[in-house]
Amino acid sequence: MLDNGIYMKEDLINLKNQALARISEANNLDELEQIRIDLFGRSGKITLIIKELRNLKPEEKKQIGILINEIKKTLDEFIQTKKNDLKVVIREWFDPTIPAKLKKIGHLHPTSIVISEMVEIFKNLGFSITEGPEIESDRYNFELLNLPKDHPARSLQDVLYIEEPEILLRSHTSSVETRAIEKLKPPFRVVVAGKCYRFESVNATNNAMFYQFQGFALQEGISMADLKGTLFYFVKSYFGEDRKIRFRCKYYPEVEPGVGLDLDCKFCNQKGCAVCKGRGWIEMLGAGMIHPQILKNFGYNPKKISGFAFGMGLDRIVMDRFKIKDIRSLYNGDIKY
Amino acid sequence: MKIPINWLNSLVELPKDIKKLTNDLTMVGHMLDKIEVKNGQTILDLELRGNRADCYSVLGIAREVSTIYGTKLKNIPVEEITKTNKLKDFSLDIQTPLVKRVGMIKIENVKIVKSPSWLSEKLVSYGIESKNNIVDLTNLVMVETGEPMHAFDLDKIGNCLKIRLAKDGEKITTFQDTTLTLTKDDLVWAKKDCILSVAGSIGEKYNSVSDTTKNILLEAANYDRANIRRTVYKHKLLTDAGIRHEKDLDPNMVDFAFSRFLYFIKKYNWGEFKPEIYDYYPKKIVPWKLNLDFEYLKRFSGLDIEINQIKSILTKLNFKIIKLNKDKLTVEIPTYRTDVTLEEDLIEEIVRIYGYDNIPSKTLSLEIPNKITPDYILQEEYLRQTAVSLGFDENISLPFIKEKYKENNVSIVNPPSPDTKYLRSSLFFNLYDTANKIINERGNLVQLFEIGKIYSKEKNIYKEERRVGFIYWSKENNKFIDFKSLVVSFFEAIGFNNIEFINEIISFKFTNSYLLKLSNKQIGFGGKHGSIYYTEIDLDSILGKNDKYKVSLWPSYPPQIEDMTLQIPEKTYVGEVIQSIKSINNLITKIELSNIFENNFTFNIEYQHPDKTLTDSEVKEIRNKILTKLKEKFGISIKE
Repeated sequence: MLDNGIYMKEDLINLKNQALARISEANNLDELEQIRIDLFGRSGKITLIIKELRNLKPEEKKQIGILINEIKKTLDEFIQTKKNDLKVVIREWFDPTIPAKLKKIGHLHPTSIVISEMVEIFKNLGFSITEGPEIESDRYNFELLNLPKDHPARSLQDVLYIEEPEILLRSHTSSVETRAIEKLKPPFRVVVAGKCYRFESVNATNNAMFYQFQGFALQEGISMADLKGTLFYFVKSYFGEDRKIRFRCKYYPEVEPGVGLDLDCKFCNQKGCAVCKGRGWIEMLGAGMIHPQILKNFGYNPKKISGFAFGMGLDRIVMDRFKIKDIRSLYNGDIKY
Repeated sequence: MKIPINWLNSLVELPKDIKKLTNDLTMVGHMLDKIEVKNGQTILDLELRGNRADCYSVLGIAREVSTIYGTKLKNIPVEEITKTNKLKDFSLDIQTPLVKRVGMIKIENVKIVKSPSWLSEKLVSYGIESKNNIVDLTNLVMVETGEPMHAFDLDKIGNCLKIRLAKDGEKITTFQDTTLTLTKDDLVWAKKDCILSVAGSIGEKYNSVSDTTKNILLEAANYDRANIRRTVYKHKLLTDAGIRHEKDLDPNMVDFAFSRFLYFIKKYNWGEFKPEIYDYYPKKIVPWKLNLDFEYLKRFSGLDIEINQIKSILTKLNFKIIKLNKDKLTVEIPTYRTDVTLEEDLIEEIVRIYGYDNIPSKTLSLEIPNKITPDYILQEEYLRQTAVSLGFDENISLPFIKEKYKENNVSIVNPPSPDTKYLRSSLFFNLYDTANKIINERGNLVQLFEIGKIYSKEKNIYKEERRVGFIYWSKENNKFIDFKSLVVSFFEAIGFNNIEFINEIISFKFTNSYLLKLSNKQIGFGGKHGSIYYTEIDLDSILGKNDKYKVSLWPSYPPQIEDMTLQIPEKTYVGEVIQSIKSINNLITKIELSNIFENNFTFNIEYQHPDKTLTDSEVKEIRNKILTKLKEKFGISIKE
C-alpha cells in the first residue's frame, strides 16, 4: 500500500503541472471552464483521487490529503486569475467618448488674480497688506502728500468730488500712504491695491474708475538702491527674468528723488510701434523716495528715517495679460468665464 | 515741450545721433514722448515736468543738454539794457502783491510786417501760427527763453494802466474772439474800466497789436503762480503763456527776455527804443544756498560718488560751490532752478546726472518688519476663494448705480456722465443688471458674487461698508432651496453654522425676502426680484468673528440613524421645527430634510454619543421626547 501512496504523490504532482499548463494556455472562458470540470467535476481527476483516499492507510491518507488540498488551492487560484485575465480581454461595450457634464466652477475676476499674484511677490520681500477709504478728504489725498491747493501737479488729477472742494473719491492709492504713515510705526512695508477714481468720460481706453497697486516702505536706512532692488525683483518675478528695465528720473510731487520705470515693448521688440508710440519702452510704474515734506508732515526727521513709494495702474496689465481690448469690459459684467 | 532740433542746436552743441540725445534726456527726467518730422524739420516732443518751469523753453532744454555732455551753451546775441523805475509819460499802478515783477518798454515807429521766413518757420515748427513780426517775436522769445511777453498798441491803451483784481462780472473779449466773464480773484491789466488782458494768459482783442499799430508797449511780468493757475483753469485759458505762468517761473527771466527781444528789433530795424526797461521788482530774488551732506547723499541714494565727481556735476549744473570741506559743501542755486529748494532736491540733481543706471540694486537688505496685515484682509481673500469653490464667478463693477435705481445715495457733484453720479448703497443693482445680461444672452445659469464697498452718509459722516453679494438664477433648478443651499454652504465653509434666515419684508421690491441673523444680530438680507435670487452679507459684521480652520474628527462610535416622516401643518417654519428637535437633547447630532411630499416632511436624524454606542431603548426615549414636544408646540404628528 505504501507503493500505491508514492505512486499517487507523483501522479498528483504530474497532474498539477499538466493542469497548470492547460490553464495557462486556455484561450477563453469556456475552455477554462472545461478544464475546471476535468479537474474538479463529478468525475474530474482530482475528484477521483479524493475518492481513492479512503483506500489508504491513515498516515498516508493524512499526507496525501494535505497535498491534495494544496494542489486544489493552487489550481483554484490559478483558474481564478486566468478567468480575470480572460474577462479583461472580452469586457463589455463601453464608450469613453461620451461628453462630460461639467460641474459649475467659479472664477476669480482677472483683476483679483493679478492683485493676488503681485501681493504674493511682495510678501516674499516682507511686505504686509493694507487698505484705506475710497471717500477721502483733500487733506489725505493731496495736502499731506506735498500737493497743496493750486499745485501745478494737481491738474494731472481731475477729481470726482462728493463735496467740493474738501470731500472726494480718492484719485490714487497714495491717500492710503498718508493714512499708513500717520497710523503705523516704522519700520513697515506695505502694499495696497484698490479702486481709484477720476473725472473721465468712459471710452475704450479710459474709465472713471481704475485700479492702482501701490507699495511703500518706511525704515531707517532705506535708500534708492533698496527701491531699485525691490522694483527689479518685482518686475522680473512678475513680467519675466528676460525683460529689459529702464530706471530713469521722473517728477512726482510725492517723491524726491523721483523715478520712472519702463519695460521693453514686447509688441515690437523695441523697434517702435503704436503701442509704445515708437519709443520701444512702455511706462510701467512711478516711484521714488518719499518726499521729505511728507515725512515732516508726520513729525519724522527725513535725515533719520527714509522711505520709498511706488505705484502703478493695474487695468492695463490685466488687459494685456487676459487679452481684453476694451477697458470697459473689465468692470461692466461683460467677462464670460 | 516741443523742441525743434535746429533751434536747440542753435543754442548748444548736440550729439550726432538723435536717438542718443533723446535717450539721455529721458534718463535725466525729460522723457521723449515722440519725434515728429514737419517740413523736413525734426521736432522732439518731451514730456513736460510740472516742477521745471525753466524747461518750458528751448533754452532750458539746452541747459540740460549742456549739463549732460559737459558742453558750453553757444553765445546767444542780446541787446544790453538798463533799468529804470519810471517810464516817460506813462504810469502803471500796481495794487496787489500778486504781482512780483513787471518789466515794460515803449517801442516807437514800429514797422508791422509779415515775419521773415526764419521767424515764421521757427514758430510753425513749434506749433504757433505766424501773425506779424512783432507778435511773432513775443512768441519766439517766450518759446526760446520761457518768459511770456505781451505787446499792447500804445496808442490805444493810453498812458495810465493798472494791474488789479477784476470786479465780479467784468467782461473781456479776447483776441481769439471769446468773451469771458471775470470774477474778483482774476488778475487783469486795465485802463480805466477797460480790461486789456487777463494777466499771464491772454490779451484783449482791440488793444492788441494790429497791422495799423504805430507804437507798442511791450511787457514781461511775473505773478503769483497759484492765482494765475486758478484763473487759467477756471476760464480754460491754457495758452502758451498760461501754462508757463502757472508754474514757478523765475522773475529774473524777464531781463533776458527783453534783451533778446530788443536784439531782434534793432537787428531788423523794426522800431525805435531807448534800451532802458521800466522795472517794478519789489522783492528781488537772488540765488539761494543749499547744503549737501556727503554722508546723507550716500545713505539716501545708495551711491558712493567721489567728491570730485560731485563737484564736477554741480559745476555742469551751473550750481556755484561756495564752501567745501571733507564731509559737506554749500552751493548757490541759480534762480531759474525754482525746483531746487531742499537738500533732497540737490541729491536728485547729482544722482540723475551721475546716472540712475549706476544706482546699485539691493534687495531690501534691512531687518524684515513685523507682519501687520489685518486679519479681515486675509479673511476677505479666503471668502473670495470659498465663493469660487462653490461655483460663483466674481464680478467687479464700478461702484456707481444707474439713475433709475437711485434713492438717497451719496452722489458726485461733478459727474462726467449720469451713470457715474450715484454711489451704490447695495451691491444688488449692478449684479442684477449683469445677471439679466447673462439671461438675455441665453445663459442657463447665473451664479455671481461681488465683494466691494457700499457708501452712505450718517450724521455728516461718510461711511463705507464692505459687503459680499450673491446672485443666482437657474434655468433648471430655480428654487429657493437651490440658492439657499449654496449660501449656507458658504457660511459653513467660512466657519458659521448657525445663521438664521428670518422672514421679513425689506426694500428693493423683493418678494420672499428675509434677514440673515447671527446670534440674533442682523448680518445681511436677501430675497427674490423677478425670478432672480439675491443675498447680501455685511462683511464688517462677520469678519474676525469666526473660528477659522476648525476641524472635527470622525466619531469613534457609530451613530444610530433613522428616518422620521412628520405631518407638518401649513405655514409652519420648518427651520423652527428643526431647532425644536435639536434643542431637546445634544445627542441628536444631525437632522437633515431628505424629502417633502405634500405636508409630509421626511427627516434623516442621527443620534450619537461621543463615548459609546447608543442602545435602541436610549434612542426610543429621545424619540418619544421629540414627538411629544412637536405635538405640543406645532401640532405635528408622525406618519406611521
